[in-house]
Formats: sequence, structure tokens, C-alpha cells
Amino acid sequence: MNGPGTVFRESSADPRTESVPFSHLSLELGHLYMEDFAEGAARLRRHFAGVRPWVEAARAGLGPLPPGRRPRISTCFLIDDYFSRLATPAELIPPLLAAAAEAGLTIDYLARESGCAGPAPGPGGSDHRDRARPAESVLHRLVESPPPGSNGFRPPVGRTGWLTNGRRTPSQRTSAALDSTGVWQPPSETEARGHSVFLDVELWNGPEDARTWSCAFLASVWQLVRLGLLRDNGAAVLTPTRWQGAEFPAEWDALPPVLQLNPAATPFTAYVTCSVLPTRFLPVEHAVRVILDQVHVEAEALQQVAARSTGEGFPVPAGVVDRTSYVFPPGL
Amino acid sequence: MSGLGTTDGPALICGEVRTCLLPTRRAVDERTAVLLLRLRADEPVRTSRRPNRHALSPDVLTGVDCRLPTATGAKVRAVGTVAAHAGLVEGRVLQSTAYFSAPATGPDRRRPWGYYLVRPGSLVPVGRLPEKSVTEGFLTGHQQDLLDVGSIAESLLARISRRHDLLDHDAPLTTTDTSLRWTASPADDGEPASALFTELGSGRRIVELRLPRGTTPVAAATLCEDLALHDWLLTTVGDKLDGLPPGSENQAAAMKVLRPLVDHLLHLWMPQARLDRALSPPWEELERHPGFSRQWNTMAQRIRDQLALQNLVRGEVPALS
Repeated sequence: MNGPGTVFRESSADPRTESVPFSHLSLELGHLYMEDFAEGAARLRRHFAGVRPWVEAARAGLGPLPPGRRPRISTCFLIDDYFSRLATPAELIPPLLAAAAEAGLTIDYLARESGCAGPAPGPGGSDHRDRARPAESVLHRLVESPPPGSNGFRPPVGRTGWLTNGRRTPSQRTSAALDSTGVWQPPSETEARGHSVFLDVELWNGPEDARTWSCAFLASVWQLVRLGLLRDNGAAVLTPTRWQGAEFPAEWDALPPVLQLNPAATPFTAYVTCSVLPTRFLPVEHAVRVILDQVHVEAEALQQVAARSTGEGFPVPAGVVDRTSYVFPPGL
Repeated sequence: MSGLGTTDGPALICGEVRTCLLPTRRAVDERTAVLLLRLRADEPVRTSRRPNRHALSPDVLTGVDCRLPTATGAKVRAVGTVAAHAGLVEGRVLQSTAYFSAPATGPDRRRPWGYYLVRPGSLVPVGRLPEKSVTEGFLTGHQQDLLDVGSIAESLLARISRRHDLLDHDAPLTTTDTSLRWTASPADDGEPASALFTELGSGRRIVELRLPRGTTPVAAATLCEDLALHDWLLTTVGDKLDGLPPGSENQAAAMKVLRPLVDHLLHLWMPQARLDRALSPPWEELERHPGFSRQWNTMAQRIRDQLALQNLVRGEVPALS
């Protein structure tokens, strides 16, 4: 903007985007409802025994890296403390870690699902970084995929709190006099191949100032966090806090949103993610992909990942949703 | 983002700027400006204090999949996002711009949406983009069912104006909103940047730009916002002075018109405040002909003369009686 020699800059006019470290792969070692934990240690052991072979497969599936590069894989586990809290961290976490260890697995990072929603209102979250509200940020970053014919004057018809992968069935007229045609029109998937698989995802419910985020929406935030693509006014969000040896507290809100349990772990955020999940989460993850496909990630964050991954010979797919993958093993 | 006319950059950048007086009695301070323009919680409003106060919202995107206007009537479908942002000058004049850039060619069918979201503010043609025809079609005007960037800019203005908690909707003077529709295509090597500025009346303006290769869409939008702001100032003040009774005839009526101009608009003239230096030739050309600053200075001087005269007259009256 200036000529050679003289430079005048204003930091508030030219903000910066913090960079984060990256592993090659972020591997999620399953997900359980609170009720599953209530079933006891045997249930947890069965879970991790079922996950184990697919962890090996995911490692092998990373593909050849340039010579001299060691694969950096970090593992993580997301605890659902958002929808129900049947047990305290002190009761729940130690058996979880023990069951994983028994299967020969290490949980490098442990995250709380409510961390993806943002801090609970009221005191707490003393660290500025913990005050970010990732779910709300992602909500404001949704750019709906336009069905053909969307020209700006007629933007995609949004329904508050819902997101689709296409065009909804036009609403039926209720007046009998006007309803003489009464022909039902089907919904359609915008990127259908021949036939539609139309999906309408509920992102949240409840009053706007006290929303309850849906599981699918928080899972989308979780993917973006693992991919290192979220920022709050340029600062990284949900950065891991080291947690060594200390007793786990009796309150979930007393735990940071992301804990680093293994001091030797490679970075939490990664170029690509793989989640080993029970098949019952398939519909949720379908919804996650519909959401991720419509999130506009900050350009500078995307740029940082692209530059770094290309620099080390591990280029990532351009589309964010293509950086996520899943394993749905039998019997999990 | 790659610049205009570069190998992987856009072949064409188009947009529309809407300019209006912020609907509030007093100019807002920087804190309020930031609240008004905070379109997203996780991205800051950019504020700048030199050489004047300016606040700029983050870009918001609107997905579109529709036909582009063409002069020849050729059917050109484009898919992608139109970017829009709003700016506030000295807490007094609100502008919103919707703009997009378009590459010369695109895939021959619509791709998954993620492909477009990593190209924010880019409308990718399905097939080849007839640049000349789209430029002409875009500037000529709007047709139903074709791309409508004006609506996107307008809805952003409406979204900001709806903040009744921050705005009292009691403007100190009536003004006409203007819309400035623009296109930018790459200038040939060695050709200086240029602009063809057309006033269509009733607040509508079109500007056809030829800009240096490598110009970013944001820089092009900044130039057009700068042109739109100053054109709006000239239009607004010019309209107020048009047919103004001389102060000597009707002092009160003249004061009623002149005072808000002094209070709210006269200090806003600041051409090329944040302009990329490479883009100053069009401005300089407009300064020579028709002479934007020349007209402004004349009008400002006329206002000051009128006020000075009234002061003199007021001083004389008691002496005469």
C-alpha cells in the first residue's frame, strides 16, 4: 500500500492468524455415550479391543512418506460431558485410560465435548483462550451450498437451526381452496448422482440465547478443531493443556477442554483425521460431512496447512471434508 | 488470493457498492462501529485511524449457482460464492460491497461445494467465461433470475441498519443512497490503470476499470468504495446546494440546509485514503476530468462563504436598527 522506503502499519487494520503445530494424522480411538461407561470396565475393554486392529490399519494406511520422515500420529478420545454427566472425571477417566492401556493403546489427548460448545456461562475459563465459543463461530461460518437457481436475490432458503444437502420439499399450502393441485414435490440432493439422498440436519434447538447444540454439530466442530482450522480473532482455540499425574477433579468444568496426557505425543492438530467409531454413529457422521462441506474456513488457516503439508511432501486434499476419514469396524 | 490476470488468478472482478448515511443522529464512535460491523464472533473488525477513521467488517459469503448476465444473451452458468463486507467512514457513512472474481475457465460441471468454499469470493464458470460479454452484461443492468449482487450488498446494509439497539434511525439530513456497479479487467502490460465512470442518474453509477495485472479483488473493491464514497459526498452536498435560496434572502432556510453539511459531511473528503498506489491513476484522471476535488472544494468554499456572510449580516443588523 505504501511506496518503497516508508511503511505505515496499523495492527488493528491488519490482524494476524496464529499458526498451530501439525501431526500427519489425528486418530480418534472411538466414542461412547455416558451410558456405555456406566456398563463398567468390561464394556470399555471390549471397546478398545475392537478398536486396536484398526489403529494398526490406520497407521499403515497413512501411505509412504518422503524418505527420512517418520509418521506423526496422535491419538485422541472425546468424552461426551455435554449431553449427560453420569459420572465425575475422577470416576470416569482412570478406568478409561486403564482399559485403553490394556489393549496396548495410548490416549494422547483427551477432550471434552462441551469444550467444542464453549465455556459454561458464569465463572471459570480464566484463560482467555478458553473463552472462545467454537460452536457459535462455526455456525457463523456456514455458507449454504446453493441449489441451482440461487442468484443472490433468492439465497438458499435457510430454516433456522437446520442445514440440508439440497432443496427441501416446498411447503404445502394449508388452505383447502388453494390446495387443489396438491401435488407433492420431492426434496432433492444438490450433488446427487442420479438419485438423491436428502439429509436435513438439526444444528441446535432451544432458545437462541441458551441453545443446545446437536451431537452432529459438535462433532463437526471437533473435526475442525483436530484439523487445526479454527481460530478466534486470529488465536488458536482449544489448544491442549498438559496434564500429568495429577488427580482428576470431581467437576467436568474444572478440566481444560483438551488435555495432553502423553507428554511424548506428537501434536494434537493434524493434516488429516481418522475416527474409529461404532456403526451407530454413521448417521451422525453423515451429518458431519454435510456440515463440514458447508463451513467456510478462514483462508489464512487453510493457507498455513497447505503450505506446511506441501512443504513436507504430504499434500492435503483442498476440500476440508476430504481430510476426514472413518472406520466403522464390526462388533464395536 | 491470486491477482487479476495472473496465470492462476481471475480474468474478471465485478462488484457493487452501496453507500448511505448511517441512520443515526450522531456519527458513532469506534466502539459502536466495531459492534455494528461485527458480522462474525471469531473474526475481528478491522479498524484504522490514519488518515481517517475507518472500520471494515470481515467478509461474509453467499453461495450462488445461477446464470451470469451477458451482453449477447449467451447462457453462462457460474457456481461459487459472492463475498460481501461493510465499511464505516468516520462513523458516519456506511458502505457495503458485494463482489466476486471469476477465472477464465472452470470445470464443465458443478463440483462438490467444498471446491468452491476454498475459493471464497470466486464465481467459477461452468465451462468458459466470455469476459467481454459478461463485463458488458453485468454493467448494463439486472435481469430477473440472473446473478444479483446488488441484493447481496443491500441485504448486508439492511442487516446492519436493523441494529436498533445501536442506531436511532433519526438521521440529521435526508440523503439519497447510491449504488456503484463495477467491473475490473486486466490492463495490458505498460497500460496504466484506467476507469470509465458513468453516472446513470437516480443514484446509479457504473465504473468499468482496467487495472494492473496482479491487482487483488480486495484492492479493486477498495478503489471502488473510495470512488463511491466521494461520488456520494459530491451528490449529496450538490443536491443540498441545488436551488438553495441565498442566505441574504432567507437566512433561516439557508442555515437549516448548511449546518448539517458542516456538522456531518464536510470533513469526510479524503480521496485515496487507503488506496494501493498502483491504483491511483484512475483517481488522478477523475481529478483532472471532471475534477472531483475541484468541485468539492468549490462547494465547501461556497458553504463557508455563505456562513461567513451570515455572520457578517447578523453583526450588521443590530448596528442598523
